[in-house]
Amino acid sequence: MTLLDAQVNTKYKVCGVSGEGNARRRLLDMGFTPECSLYIAGVAPMGGTVLVGLRGFLVALREDAASLIQIKAAS
Amino acid sequence: MEYTISLVGNPNVGKTSLYNRITHSLEHVGNWHGVTVTEVSKKIMFDHNTVNMVDLPGLYSLSVYSPEEGISRDRILDKSSDLIINICEVNNLARNLYLTLQLLELDVPTVLVVNMMDELKKQGKVLNYRKIEKVLKIPIVPMSAKYHSDVHLLMQVALDHIQTHGANTVNLEYLEKLPLDDVVSIIGANAANAGFVPRWAAIKVLENDAFVLEKLNLNELQIKALEAMGDMQARVAQVRYEFIDKITEGAISRSVSDEHHEMHEHTEHNVPIEREGEPEEERDKKDKHARHHDKHKKSERLKMLGFSRIDKIVLNKYLALPIFLLVMALIFVVTFGLVGKFFTWLLELGIDKLIYNPLTKWLVKIKCPAWIVGLVGDGIIHGVGGILVFLPQIVLLFFFLALLEDSGYISRVAFMTDGIFRKIGLSGRSAFTMLMGFGCSATAVLTARGLEDDTMRKKTVLLTPFMSCSARLPVYSTVAAAFFAAGSPFVIFGMYVLGAAVALLLAALFEKCVKPLKSGKLSFIMEMPPYRFPTAERVFQIIWNNAKVFLIRVGTVIFALNVIVWLLSNFSFTAGYTVGKNAKSILELISGWIAPVFKPFGFGNWKAVTSLLSGLVAKEVVISSIESLGGVEAIFTGSHASLSALTFMVFTLLYVPCVATLVAIRKEAGLKWMFFSLGLQIGVAYVVSLLFYGVGLLYYLNKGVFIGCIIVAAVVAVCISVFIGRLRGKKACPYCAGGCGTCSKTCKKTNRDKK
Repeated sequence: MTLLDAQVNTKYKVCGVSGEGNARRRLLDMGFTPECSLYIAGVAPMGGTVLVGLRGFLVALREDAASLIQIKAAS
Repeated sequence: MEYTISLVGNPNVGKTSLYNRITHSLEHVGNWHGVTVTEVSKKIMFDHNTVNMVDLPGLYSLSVYSPEEGISRDRILDKSSDLIINICEVNNLARNLYLTLQLLELDVPTVLVVNMMDELKKQGKVLNYRKIEKVLKIPIVPMSAKYHSDVHLLMQVALDHIQTHGANTVNLEYLEKLPLDDVVSIIGANAANAGFVPRWAAIKVLENDAFVLEKLNLNELQIKALEAMGDMQARVAQVRYEFIDKITEGAISRSVSDEHHEMHEHTEHNVPIEREGEPEEERDKKDKHARHHDKHKKSERLKMLGFSRIDKIVLNKYLALPIFLLVMALIFVVTFGLVGKFFTWLLELGIDKLIYNPLTKWLVKIKCPAWIVGLVGDGIIHGVGGILVFLPQIVLLFFFLALLEDSGYISRVAFMTDGIFRKIGLSGRSAFTMLMGFGCSATAVLTARGLEDDTMRKKTVLLTPFMSCSARLPVYSTVAAAFFAAGSPFVIFGMYVLGAAVALLLAALFEKCVKPLKSGKLSFIMEMPPYRFPTAERVFQIIWNNAKVFLIRVGTVIFALNVIVWLLSNFSFTAGYTVGKNAKSILELISGWIAPVFKPFGFGNWKAVTSLLSGLVAKEVVISSIESLGGVEAIFTGSHASLSALTFMVFTLLYVPCVATLVAIRKEAGLKWMFFSLGLQIGVAYVVSLLFYGVGLLYYLNKGVFIGCIIVAAVVAVCISVFIGRLRGKKACPYCAGGCGTCSKTCKKTNRDKK
């Protein structure tokens, strides 16, 4: 599943980042690497943008970027 | 000796704060990402050495994303610095070290600063930086650049390192997990030709770095050979982060006692760094444990928790936008309402009683010619003084903007408005630039450089001038006070809302109708800074910087322009001083030609035209010209004076902000777009004013017809929106109105909901 399917405030682990180009690179550089744990801290009022917490910081992602991030439930 | 030292690091880690400390500068700082968009440098003397300090825009990686990051990348790659001071933030150590590793791969002499140690201390933790120092083999200096820091020590370490460092002996063991030798055997010759170290170029090739690949100029065979190795981009990021996790494990630990705040080598309880990254419930569990463990930290812990709770309310799905509007309304009520008005009135009184009256009396007494009395009294004191009195309101406005910026709320605004902005082809990041537009259009336009997409940047640059800048404030205040007395704060707030509404409508129009400005699907990836308490020093600094700029403008441009306008409007080509004579002054002639253009707005007189023309240089001059030409009442006359005054405000809001803004637009978007912007501003100002005056007139003439027209317009608007909605609904998925990039038949969210 991708980050789009994630529930708010639940812990997940990254499997990988799909896609190509700038957005993917930025996500990788920001630390969305396999086995890194993350959670969704909130959703923007108009929807479509989520706030993700990972590695000790928060990052806002639009759905298109969030859909690139493959996740699995944290064990 | 002369050295060049560059400050490099992730966005919002405090590079500019440190730069300001080292060079005693007052460069703009704020708690959001991308404040610095260009290279800034200053020479200082240290220990008989001349050191050229360079402050660079923040970047996450040497593979860049937006143009301002390119500036930093180029500066690092051309190796023109003798040393790089790499600044890390202790809360985000892992992600910050990711850039550090890339600097080490490049083998540039580096000193590492770990900033924001104060925040770690507040959490009752210490950093065992010696451990990291041992692995990376570069000097590490812990610091709190926001507060007083031992800059002297850092500079000592930096200069020592320049003199003593040899080739870096650090063993970046993770590189062995990458097939670098294979890549080098393919691209080796090209790398040497392009002036890169082959091994470094190989890493970048694996990362699929567009910049390096272009420089390498590979042939088809080489590209095929590389493609055969598969996609390694994710692998490179992964091994770097694995290495970082290994070296930082246990580096941050709970301090043992309150008395020992020094960063000492103690690692008793190994608590992982990932605090903010944990879900709330788990964090709470650990915090309960911590409270039990250490009662002294109780108050501070609660404070830390409180900070994340703020987001729960501020970013709540339903409360977020109302809270934002409330905050803005509060700012305007305080700035333009009671508080701001009181100080302005006080200053006005002071200028009138203490300067104007005695000075003009004295000038008359010493028998000065009448035109000198007029020039000094009306041209200078009333004109320039009329602007000066707005200093308190400008200070208040920038005080609030500074609070918004420094607390971290401005990034939340970008996040919560992203939904609206996405629909019109912009991103929440544009909200930064537009909010800064409330301060100064010209400087706000420059902040657009942090926007990664070219089209979006152009669009943001074109729209920012419609946000009402602080220079327009005196115009509204004076005109509104004269015609609307008690209602003036609402009228002024209305102007701000109108400006923003026009900007958003134009953005939507561009997205739909202007092809070169259509941005389509865009990604939005933006880090959210933690809330921080603004320090008095920084808030004062922002106020002081802007107040200084304002006072300098008043003393130079506005002063000079006022003298010129007064002279030109009181002297004629033939008859000399015109007051008391039946002759037309120079400006009366020139502006008189243009005046008919403004006839439909009810202020088609030469005085109004003159003030608007002089406002092209600086908007404040609009009102100072009016003051020196006889005041507001002399310009707006007739039966609908208040309506034409209101239309005048609308026109002032929307037409060209100032020449400086046009120059800034040229810098960011090019000459072609500058002219487009010029035409757009004048066109929009004219059309909206015309509509405004027309509707207003209708209201005055016949209220029944007016209300009827409003109802008809509303019905038509609803019909159109429903119609467009129907058309759209067929094409796009219901979650995004077509902008999310995932909507097609395979939109995952829709599929899931269908099930």
